[in-house]
Amino acid sequence: MYLATFLPCGASSETMVEISKIVGQRLEAIARPEDHPDANLLGAFAERALGNRERAQVLEHLSRCMSCREVVSLSSMPSERAQIVSVASGRGWLSWPILRWGVVACVVTVGAVVAIHKKNENLNGAPTIAETRPAVEMQAPTQTVASPNGGKDAAVSSSPVEMADAGVGSPLAKAVPGRAKDAVAESRDAQVDAGAASKGPIPVNLTPRWTLSSDGTLQRSLDSGSTWQTITVSNSKASFRALAANGLDIWVGGSAGALFHSSDAGEHWTRVRPVVNGQVLRADIIGVEFPDLLHGKLTIADPAAQALNRSWQPGQSLPQYDFPADSRGQDVVAQKIPVPALPGKQTWTTADAGQTWEKK
Amino acid sequence: MPKQTIQSGAEVSASLDALVAEIYQKSRCRVFGLTREQFDAVLGEIARKHLPADAAHDDLCELYRGLHAEELALARACAAGHEHAWEVFLTRYRAKLYDIAGYITKESSAARELADSIYAELYGTTTREGQRTSKLASYTGRGSLEGWLRTVMAQEHINRYRRQRRLVSLDEETEEGIQFATREPEPAMAVDPRVEAAIDEVLAALPPEDRFILASYFLDQRTLADIARTLGVHESTISRKVDKLAKSLRKQILAGLGRRGMSRRQAQEALEVDVRDLRVNIRSRLAQENGVPAFSKKKAEAPADGS
Repeated sequence: MYLATFLPCGASSETMVEISKIVGQRLEAIARPEDHPDANLLGAFAERALGNRERAQVLEHLSRCMSCREVVSLSSMPSERAQIVSVASGRGWLSWPILRWGVVACVVTVGAVVAIHKKNENLNGAPTIAETRPAVEMQAPTQTVASPNGGKDAAVSSSPVEMADAGVGSPLAKAVPGRAKDAVAESRDAQVDAGAASKGPIPVNLTPRWTLSSDGTLQRSLDSGSTWQTITVSNSKASFRALAANGLDIWVGGSAGALFHSSDAGEHWTRVRPVVNGQVLRADIIGVEFPDLLHGKLTIADPAAQALNRSWQPGQSLPQYDFPADSRGQDVVAQKIPVPALPGKQTWTTADAGQTWEKK
Repeated sequence: MPKQTIQSGAEVSASLDALVAEIYQKSRCRVFGLTREQFDAVLGEIARKHLPADAAHDDLCELYRGLHAEELALARACAAGHEHAWEVFLTRYRAKLYDIAGYITKESSAARELADSIYAELYGTTTREGQRTSKLASYTGRGSLEGWLRTVMAQEHINRYRRQRRLVSLDEETEEGIQFATREPEPAMAVDPRVEAAIDEVLAALPPEDRFILASYFLDQRTLADIARTLGVHESTISRKVDKLAKSLRKQILAGLGRRGMSRRQAQEALEVDVRDLRVNIRSRLAQENGVPAFSKKKAEAPADGS
């Protein structure tokens, strides 16, 4: 006789988890797939959007129905980061949490830097919002900042918001099924044919666009800037003056030290409270820079900085704060690191709703 | 507050009406071409589908508040044929359809075919009683529209795969000798019914989530990461859970067999010995000893190894 067991794929002998084959057979035998949940319920389940009662009902069905389990598994498309995390952590799990998170952080950082490198060509202290807006948005919210000195200083350190047109304005009326031969479809074909559809990065045209209104509210567009929705940031009443967007990762900063972070394109927010020498930051944040997912930089409109700004001379430094990695959800101890000021200008203005910026 | 039901349309409370009006505004129905009456009808349909007839007012409000109202309005406006809605839909989702298809099928031509066929169903190329029918009319806004599209495409892909599997070439069957396979012999020994009963009892007592994890991991051979993503937890959580479940299952089954009159040793042997495996093992050994299956010219030419 021999021991018959159900072994999961790739299980090593050291970490073997097994159940008797007959247990596996009974698990299969109790399957009675009836009344399959429709795509609405399965989709909502995959997004964890169901209430407890409905979730339990769907799980009960999934525990018995292989087909529906397969549907849910296929439709739970991983995000880029989830894919990276899955690859990095592998089937087992590292025994050293720091090492594990360090590996994840390295992979994510490398991926993010490569992905945004081409979009951050002007990021040598001359940040821009590389955002294309149609003419109708000239009255749309801008990212100008009302500094305490009464002038208008533009948001200093905003990372370019990702966007690309995927055929907006193309003759959509001619988009008939089966005749998708316009340039977008052809470029899409090239990506699919290259095998990039399942392996490459998510095309930028799928990334949300972000902006701050003149009254300090955060706004998001999911249709390449045609329409905008106001996003509530964790019920905060702060007036936001700066944001940095990096794919799904968003940082917004505003009045009285309000700093919030979202890693899922604004669905959920975490308040980050910068602390310097034991003092919580309460000054206005007027600039946010996040060249990668982990390292960040704020520009603060505190009275000392304003005084410095008024009397600034070329060669003097402007106080800035560098934050250590992995600061989400925790009080961050920041250190003042003097950064050589850029020669000439300390204020940034825009005359066309954020499309181009000028140094003054 | 008195209980309000979804069927008592005339008794819709002022607060419910205000809620619906607010949702109507936020959903941009007017932009997409849906009237308030049409939207009310959509909400009523969704409530009847997902709530019992005597659902409480609060449940109804909670359902409405949880809907992806803007996407719902967009989908229903598309289903109704509003052109501007289609423009917005195409801008947002056309490229995503191909990306999703690529992820699901892992192959470019199949991806294109899948995306095109779903697109046709969404657009409504089929008619029923003279009316164009669009699959978008079945979207209820419980989850995001993109999530719904992924699920619809996954379902279609699985259905296609199954349809293809049923169409097996007769030549292939002949090659493998399947057409001429003997009937599976009856097992020499029946499994002790107490074993099946004990196992069924333990499995039935498990929470659905635990059974789902067991089935996904051991039957479907899904990875820990895959299961964790579905349930929205960390991979290590699933790893610990699988380990704990496997150990706990054995312990409970042994206890159940004990209650059914088996000794500890008998119970352990009953779990470890599977007569079906014995039977299969003997069959596989017999197949190797016999060597070549019948009617396969290709395999008959393979060098015999003394058998």
